Amino acid sequence: MDVNLMVEVTPLLIKAAWITIDISIRAIILGFGVACVLVFLRSLQIKPLQWFSRGYVSVIRGTPYFVQLLLVFYGGPTIGLTMDPFTCGVMVGAFNIGAYMSEAIRGALESVESGQNEASRSLGFGRLQTLTYVVLPQAAGLMIRSVGVLAIVLVKNSSLVSIISVVELTYQAQRLIGSTYKPFEIFTLTAVMYICIVYAVMGIVELAYRRATRYTTLVKRVQ
Amino acid sequence: MTIETKTDTPMVEIVNVHKKFGDLEVLKGINLTVPKGKIVSIIGSSGSGKSTLLRSVNHLEVIDDGVIRLDGVQVNRPDMKGLAFERHINHIRQNMGMVFQHFNLFPHLSTLDNVTLAPRKLKGMARKEAEELGREYLNRVGLADKADVYPSRLSGGQKQRVAIARALAMQPKVMLFDEATSALDPELVEEVNLVMRDLAKEHMTMLIVTHEMAFARDVSDWAMFMEGGVVVEEGTPDKFFSNPDHERTRNFLRKHLSSQH
Amino acid sequence: MELDFSPVIAYAPTLLSGVGVTSLIALVVALFSVLGGLLVAVISVYTNKVVSWPIRFLIWLFMTTPLLLQLYFLYFGLGEWILIPALMVGVLGLGFHYMAYNADIFIATIRSVSAGQYEASRSLGFGHLRTLFYIIVPQAFIRSVPQIGNNLILMVKDTSVLSAIGVAELVYASQYAISVSFRPFEFFIVIAIVYYLLNLIMEFGQARFERMTADRR
Repeated sequence: MDVNLMVEVTPLLIKAAWITIDISIRAIILGFGVACVLVFLRSLQIKPLQWFSRGYVSVIRGTPYFVQLLLVFYGGPTIGLTMDPFTCGVMVGAFNIGAYMSEAIRGALESVESGQNEASRSLGFGRLQTLTYVVLPQAAGLMIRSVGVLAIVLVKNSSLVSIISVVELTYQAQRLIGSTYKPFEIFTLTAVMYICIVYAVMGIVELAYRRATRYTTLVKRVQ
Repeated sequence: MTIETKTDTPMVEIVNVHKKFGDLEVLKGINLTVPKGKIVSIIGSSGSGKSTLLRSVNHLEVIDDGVIRLDGVQVNRPDMKGLAFERHINHIRQNMGMVFQHFNLFPHLSTLDNVTLAPRKLKGMARKEAEELGREYLNRVGLADKADVYPSRLSGGQKQRVAIARALAMQPKVMLFDEATSALDPELVEEVNLVMRDLAKEHMTMLIVTHEMAFARDVSDWAMFMEGGVVVEEGTPDKFFSNPDHERTRNFLRKHLSSQH
Repeated sequence: MELDFSPVIAYAPTLLSGVGVTSLIALVVALFSVLGGLLVAVISVYTNKVVSWPIRFLIWLFMTTPLLLQLYFLYFGLGEWILIPALMVGVLGLGFHYMAYNADIFIATIRSVSAGQYEASRSLGFGHLRTLFYIIVPQAFIRSVPQIGNNLILMVKDTSVLSAIGVAELVYASQYAISVSFRPFEFFIVIAIVYYLLNLIMEFGQARFERMTADRR
């Protein structure tokens, strides 16, 4: 193993890792917004909006993220949608993961038994109040966990934006492998960085989970 | 330890069997002989060691000391190791039928395949012949019409009857029942008991661990009460159930007979 | 904005051959990753730490790093030693990636088969290996059907990533046509539709297979 080389390329890879992190954070936040809108549309008693929400989720989940990325980046200008590679990566990532997240959120909300909803409504709470005071606190744990899994998927998917020349981790790794002919060293370094990012996400998710479930978990954590 | 019909050939012999789980001694020198064609019931509260004893006969528990024999052949063989012992115990087990509290039917196989798997794969029986035999045994437990159904579609009582048919299809020399009706709803117990009574009539050798006092009294040739890893009392069912010698046996029976209807 | 699908129609044979390659890759990778995953899972559950630990490590590594990075590593890493065609690298890369995901599921389902099943089989006289082969592994497999189905659906979509290393599947096959026709939007829309249809077929198959095996769980 060529340690000198590894030391030499580490700064380059760290710089690229920041791009991966940047793109991922933006896409996750925006994607969560997209997901909330989709869930909201689906919950309305207006058929066309429900169909739109369902159709959107079905189309996004039924086609490859990679093809979506190429379609928007190369095909976008045809319909007047021109974006720089980084923005394109964020947007496609967000609109893609949003579809998956909407299903995760819906699943979490539906996991709260219907008796809870009925009990709250019978007390005189409205729909929104029921959601915020009764359903959401109970669904939060599961929601955070499943959204967290998708955030990790997104981090790994972000490697595909290297195809449209965003200089993120995988792009930099590929370029370095090509110029140094040391695939093992470069792969090891890059893998370590992805693993760090993935574990950071897992850590944040776990913290959020604990916070969200501190009143609802049956087993009391001592200390 | 010895049953009245002394002259009969012993089918199962349990001699001075000891077993420990960690520091806990669960079998403290058990002796029992089951003659061919006889039925022995073992009763006792949970933790008494009765299930461990039965499972030891099938070598599902490895005993620490003592000897267990099936039809004169030693089951536990501390002298044998590795593959040689594997071959030995697999052969022994083919001659013993074991029925579990939780049935343990194979969910991925149809009822008929559950019954025919062992005859086909272990005895090399042709599929057609095995299926004939399988249907015969399913018929015997009253489930001929369920041959192509998967276990998930059966009631608990039906599952246990299939499990009995599965064990019988290997034409075992002895049947071991480990609380065969304990996991069943009360209304399903009788159908399983009926099958076991039929087996008794055919003079199948049986070793039964049970909570059903009335059933044990009816069907057994010999009854045994265990507590804390030792045999407290044993005897013919007439004597054992109506006039036991030991205070502890009396207490146990009083509790369990009164709770039954 | 004016859409023109005529180049797509003109290049229909190219696209069709791309679909053929995509389907073939998907089929080979499906078999490879499911059977391989099952084997890896059995080995990792039933062997000692010396064997199972490296296997777990590899599964974890494949699951925590991106597919594309793994493909680049294989492509350039293997390319250093031997000359192998991109198609082979693609099939191996995608195959190992999903083998890890499938093995992860099989490990969990093998462990979820109750000890009673093992005992029941042993009490009939079956040995350890036969018990695994006839009882434990088939049950684990049936229990895994829904999750393995999900993985395979993801895998079919991920075949598109192989175009990045030059495997002539659907996306790659269209690239020449796109570059001469200047109609990327139309081509990618049609490609997306093709994947959507493939996905529908996969979902239909998964639902059917799940129904078929529902009784046997």
